[in-house]
Amino acid sequence: MEAPPCRQLGELQPEQERSSSAVVGLSLCDSAPLLWRIQDLKTVRSSGLVGALLGALPRTPRQNIRLGRPLLLLPEEERLLRERHSAAALPARNQDAVGTELQQRYEEEEQRSYEEQSILALEDRRSALLRAMTSSSGSECGAGSDEALQGRLLALGQNFTFPRSALAVQLSTARAGLSHCQEARAFLQADWPIREQDSPRREARYQVFRDLRGRGFFLTSAGKFGGDFLVYPGDPLRFHAHFIAVCLTLDESICMLDVLCVARLGSNVKKTVLLCSPAPDGPVHYTSLQWSGMV
Amino acid sequence: MADQNKTESANNFYNEILSPCELFAARSRSHKLPARGQKDFYPDDSEEQRQRLQQSLDEHWRLISEERVERLGNLVKGVWIPSERIVELQSPAGKFWQTMGFSAEGKQYLLPEEALYLMECGNLLVSHQDLPLSIQDGYEMFLSADAVSLQQYQVFGHLKRLGYVVHRFDPSSEPSSYARQLNLPPSRERGGRQLKRKRSPSPTPTCSKGESPAEKMEEDDKLPESHLPTSAEPPEPQSCSSGSAAEAGARTWWMTDVPDRQADKRPSPGSPSARSRWNFSAIPFPDLGSTGRPRSVAPPHPSLLPGGVTVGVCDVASWMRKVNLREVRMSRKEEERERRRRRRDVNKDREVQRCRNWAEYHELLARRQAAREGRPAHLWSGEVTPLHDPTQPISTAELLEKISVITSTNLLEGASRLKGSEEWRICFNVYQPDSVADFKKSNPGKPYTRMCVCSFDGPVPDLRAIKQLAFQSGDVLVVFAVVDHGDISFYTFKDFQLPRDVYP
Repeated sequence: MEAPPCRQLGELQPEQERSSSAVVGLSLCDSAPLLWRIQDLKTVRSSGLVGALLGALPRTPRQNIRLGRPLLLLPEEERLLRERHSAAALPARNQDAVGTELQQRYEEEEQRSYEEQSILALEDRRSALLRAMTSSSGSECGAGSDEALQGRLLALGQNFTFPRSALAVQLSTARAGLSHCQEARAFLQADWPIREQDSPRREARYQVFRDLRGRGFFLTSAGKFGGDFLVYPGDPLRFHAHFIAVCLTLDESICMLDVLCVARLGSNVKKTVLLCSPAPDGPVHYTSLQWSGMV
Repeated sequence: MADQNKTESANNFYNEILSPCELFAARSRSHKLPARGQKDFYPDDSEEQRQRLQQSLDEHWRLISEERVERLGNLVKGVWIPSERIVELQSPAGKFWQTMGFSAEGKQYLLPEEALYLMECGNLLVSHQDLPLSIQDGYEMFLSADAVSLQQYQVFGHLKRLGYVVHRFDPSSEPSSYARQLNLPPSRERGGRQLKRKRSPSPTPTCSKGESPAEKMEEDDKLPESHLPTSAEPPEPQSCSSGSAAEAGARTWWMTDVPDRQADKRPSPGSPSARSRWNFSAIPFPDLGSTGRPRSVAPPHPSLLPGGVTVGVCDVASWMRKVNLREVRMSRKEEERERRRRRRDVNKDREVQRCRNWAEYHELLARRQAAREGRPAHLWSGEVTPLHDPTQPISTAELLEKISVITSTNLLEGASRLKGSEEWRICFNVYQPDSVADFKKSNPGKPYTRMCVCSFDGPVPDLRAIKQLAFQSGDVLVVFAVVDHGDISFYTFKDFQLPRDVYP
């Protein structure tokens, strides 16, 4: 009755290999790469990419401290996934396949859910009644109270109605289920539209990102700190950031005032500033700035 | 049923649909956010750290994977209309109607960003082609670069979650500075412009109470159109001004959307310009001072005239005779001053012309110098002279002005000459959260601030952009919401006056 299960290559492999060879499904929203499915988020986190959550948290939607899905990927994260062939484009909502068949299935599902929930609600009420009666009767026992109990339970069964408006309905976050069709196994190279122009700056950013990720650091965006990346020694859930990475190309010159600005900022927020420049032959050069007093 | 559930969870690796049993159990979910503990400084490969990390991660996934479950009776139902890019409500709106949405043609509508926010809050269920939309569908269908972009929606959602009331900014509904000076009444409710609104015979919002007598007056006016029904005029605005909400009613006659005399009821303006705004550049004012010397002036457009007034061609010959077009003759003193103000050509100076040789010229100069007594000659004879003559009276403020190197200016100086740019535009009006109780969508009042959304990847707004946005916004502060992959920072520029201990 449900939509046919989506079989992935990753599913059939053992657990430890899943994180490295599983493919996540990216969907574009206004040319931004978003991840919606919880398994994709877990996969991406296990390979060390943090991303940023954008949506409201279902449990408490009216606060900004903790947000929920979707997860927005940095352009460097997206490119890294693309180069490892671990990401594929999810198809858009299929307009043609939606017909009366899907709508019928949805209505049947809702009806089935309603029936099941009515039974569960009745059970719930019965047990509540039982609890109330046994606690109030206390040490009393005997045929009299049992009869009364049976009578009340019977009355409950007869008079109980589960209104349609009390039906619990799910508002799906990710597009899964009836309107979701089988994934096209399209790899990013073929399908993914090239959206960003390559500039030396972006290339430098990517090289630095890849190098630091390779060393085991976790990286997030650092616009608020005046840099390119915030560098964490471990998962950001557990550790504070140690560095603010500013990416420059080797032939780029920066003025002293900019260096002063970023150094001051770094010392104010108690993080070390890293000036990072990838060399054309491979390794990335790092220079750290620390504010020291007058000696 | 039970084993089907089991196979579902085993095989449907990517299926996040909840079973009816889980849906029912969701009623007793906790609604509290777990508090985050202290972070560690450095990873040291200890078991303890690994455990704590795993705990944090598990809690994180638990929170993130929770799905929205609501009672069907608590949900407002809506339908997405792709052609108009709005959501039409199918069941009555809830509490959010006080600050969100608009009504047109008797139905209730929501803008896409409002609908998406309500979907994320779990208050609204939007269907398209008879199937409910998921949040992902909402993001992909409602947000696009030409309508509301993802970044703008991020800012919108952030502010709404904090409790602010956020509306779209419509530049045409903001009065121009000239209109503000004239203190014209505020324009009508927002949102109705999106749809080509047909004006039903029901009363318009600007003159609600005095409407029916006004309409009747209007009907009467149609008959005696040939002669000036000046008597009918005064009662009309007066009846309108009887109402409390009628500060606009008394002046309806100058609205550009005055009903057509020929129609029986208020017409449906096919043009979307159902606006109560003047377009001053389109109103021609006759130029009587030009060399053409027109003999008569054509009558103004009937929409500019009060109801019932008809004006013929105006003969201005008699007026032109009264206009004094003679050249003004200046008095002796004024002429002298004029001459002195013009650049002094030494050769034209009569006294210099009387000098026959250099010696006499030097004498003349010395004489003139002596005339200006009290000033040391060596200072005043050179090319660079002192800024001010100490014998002349001057106030402290003026003196400070003279010695200042940088003149102070305010943000709006010269801003009216700037044309708008495509890159920078104001997106939202933001109203304070504590005004929600008495907030009226038809008359929201002055916003607390206006938002312009940009990103850290883009350019920093230059002075030109800041001036143009500040001018467009009027006396409301413009805040730049800079979006950086999930983080939003707010920046604003304020005018600042350096203190001066001067009382001019």
